[in-house]
Amino acid sequence: MEKQYDSPAAAKVSREELTAVMTALEPDQLISTKEHHHCPRRQLTPTEMILFWALRIYLVFMFGVVVYQIWTGVR
Amino acid sequence: MKETKTLPELRRGTVPRSNLLNNQPTSDAAVVITHEDIDRAHDRERVSATRARRGIRPRLRLFWLLIGPGILVMLGENDGPSMLSYAATGARFGVGFFVPFIVLTFAMACVVQEMTVRLGAATHRGHAELIFDRFGPFWGWFSMADLMVGNFLTLVTEFIAIRAGLGFFGVRPAVAVFSALLVLSVALITHRYWTWERIILGAAMFNLVFVPVALLTHPHWGSVGRALVTWRPLPGGLTQETVLILLADIGATVTPWMLFFQQSAIADKGLTTHDIRFGRVDTVLGAALATVAALATMLATAPLFAHHMSAANFEAAEFAQALQPFIGHWGAALFALGMFEAGMVAAITISTSSAYAFGEVARRPHSLNLPFRQGKSFYLVLLLEAVAAAGLVLIPGIPLVYIVLLVNVIAVLAMPPALLFLYMLVNDREMMGALVSPRWANVLALGVVTILVGAGLLFGISVIAPNALALVGGR
Repeated sequence: MEKQYDSPAAAKVSREELTAVMTALEPDQLISTKEHHHCPRRQLTPTEMILFWALRIYLVFMFGVVVYQIWTGVR
Repeated sequence: MKETKTLPELRRGTVPRSNLLNNQPTSDAAVVITHEDIDRAHDRERVSATRARRGIRPRLRLFWLLIGPGILVMLGENDGPSMLSYAATGARFGVGFFVPFIVLTFAMACVVQEMTVRLGAATHRGHAELIFDRFGPFWGWFSMADLMVGNFLTLVTEFIAIRAGLGFFGVRPAVAVFSALLVLSVALITHRYWTWERIILGAAMFNLVFVPVALLTHPHWGSVGRALVTWRPLPGGLTQETVLILLADIGATVTPWMLFFQQSAIADKGLTTHDIRFGRVDTVLGAALATVAALATMLATAPLFAHHMSAANFEAAEFAQALQPFIGHWGAALFALGMFEAGMVAAITISTSSAYAFGEVARRPHSLNLPFRQGKSFYLVLLLEAVAAAGLVLIPGIPLVYIVLLVNVIAVLAMPPALLFLYMLVNDREMMGALVSPRWANVLALGVVTILVGAGLLFGISVIAPNALALVGGR
């Protein structure tokens, strides 16, 4: 996920267009800024980790229930 | 060849601004202007010019320029499986408990989607990108897997609705599905987010076709009003079937793809923090229109309940046929057309949400402003997912209604983990600054999560130990 890429630049950009783009868009709306400037990763607290895992387990379990229902439905 | 200019050079005569995400100003390194930037800047220029003018007409024009993602996401979620869930609800329960219940589910959708408006406008990033960046690839891939599985299953059901809706007019399944793929592709030819949005908005308004269908059934408005304000108890108590319908109706309004779609669409449209108020109005208006269409669908099939007809074996087109004695051929045709439209608009929005999410995590260009050559992976993911789902629908012998209801149930089950990501992102002061959720919004969001987890657990109990439903007031 560390991969970066460069979107192709517009073939011909006039000075008016450049000025217009810079005036109309906020700095981090520019594609080149978005591509090279990402949000830093945050550290999860133990409570957040527990919540994440609890909901993941809930989801896996409930998907099992759905599969069971389909299986009984088919039978 | 890339044409590069330095930021100070480009900003000559303009005031540098910094976004809440980038508290530090953008570096003065060379900047590449892309085709996508130019298109988005043109859209933003129109917004700025309109905002600068005073009066009612400029305000209305500003509203017109800024609405879109909210209405699209809400009417897009009134999709094939959703309309079928509402139709099954009307046919099975008539007018009563579910009238206020459906209004409540759309209120829940408003609470959730409002958070994506703020997040998208403040960060200019899509939902998948923020999850990957902020929580890392481990949790990011989990979230992507939930989205992709859910989106693919839902897309299958959209093509079921398309097939069934056109089936009413005698269109063969293969022709119906191929025509839908053609429409989906044509909408992309514009290569402009703005044009694409207006076309799909126009198509989405057709969702209201269920209103005249409902009027043709001559509903008893007194009963509807009473049901709305008194919220009568669930008829027959909690049973396995009622729990399934309850979950299907919740899943018809709040699903993970909506979070990803609206935030990405807001970033693609170029909305900023100045536009959040309009984003909220857009979302509430979308929810109001979708509520009207959902209630109309339920009212339209209520005669089947009044005449003690079973909905158990009805599929989308069969609902239309079953209604024909009550609303005539034209009414039934409108109902079938509505099913087609619901499937068509959702097929477009859902496949777009997958393409946005894929582009964001694979770091590939992802915008409806991109020409095909520059956004190959974006358009290919969008089209290939739709083609795969459409192909599955042509396999004979698929139990349609059952699949459709279960898809909505799966959406409800996948929502709590998706909402946790959203809740944490929108409360991330580093990213959101002053736009973090206020306490009341957090209370509402936690209320929605509690209802969703509770509904999921109720579904689990109804499947594993149906007799235990008696403990929570069922039988």
